[in-house]
Amino acid sequence: MKVKIELFGASRDFSDKNSLDFEVGNNSTIKDIREKLNDYLDRKFEGNENYKKIVNSSAFCSADNNIISDNYKITNNEKIAIIPPIGGG
Amino acid sequence: MLHTKIVNSKDSKLSILEAENFVSSSKFGASIFFTGTVRNQNNNQSVTGITYDSHDELVKKSFEDIYNEADQKLNINDKAVFIEHAKGYLSLGEISIIIAVACKHREEAYILSRYIIEEIKKRSPIWKKEHYDNNESSWLKGNPILYEKN
Repeated sequence: MKVKIELFGASRDFSDKNSLDFEVGNNSTIKDIREKLNDYLDRKFEGNENYKKIVNSSAFCSADNNIISDNYKITNNEKIAIIPPIGGG
Repeated sequence: MLHTKIVNSKDSKLSILEAENFVSSSKFGASIFFTGTVRNQNNNQSVTGITYDSHDELVKKSFEDIYNEADQKLNINDKAVFIEHAKGYLSLGEISIIIAVACKHREEAYILSRYIIEEIKKRSPIWKKEHYDNNESSWLKGNPILYEKN
């Protein structure tokens, strides 16, 4: 299955683009997406610990704008947003 | 009555006048105008500007949720609320957020205004990247988003 991760806030430093595309297995969950992101950071940024902290402390948001749990099951071609720790105002 | 908007700094600036026009009504005897602006110091560093990032749809949804909760949690039913937040690059002194509220009486207007900004800080997915006078920049750490678990 394909999944697109839209980048926001500090996670924008993970790429020059606005999103990352991953191939994941059937029945993959948000927990698997965290692992995919950490694998990506190992490869691209030599396991940058600050970046990994961002992934591990982030929430994720579905295309219909709901915050989703680690057990949420991804569907093919789904678009998910990563929501790093926030601080607006 | 609620107005919400994410304003891209490339397109326009946040306007107190627009907020005043929206909330003003002879029904209400008290109005509070809160603005957040870009300041020149943070954590002992000289700040020259801030880039704001936003998940626009989720932010607008959070604004609506916060407004609707004021009915139940604060028992403030009769109100006008104007919330706009900037995204993109802002220079020192520029307005990043306007929260204008109008209610019948001052007590509820003060409570509502404070409630809205504190909830936005906890729940609205907005991020700040500070720019410093040594030409470096850094995303602020922030706090994990608070949300109701399904």
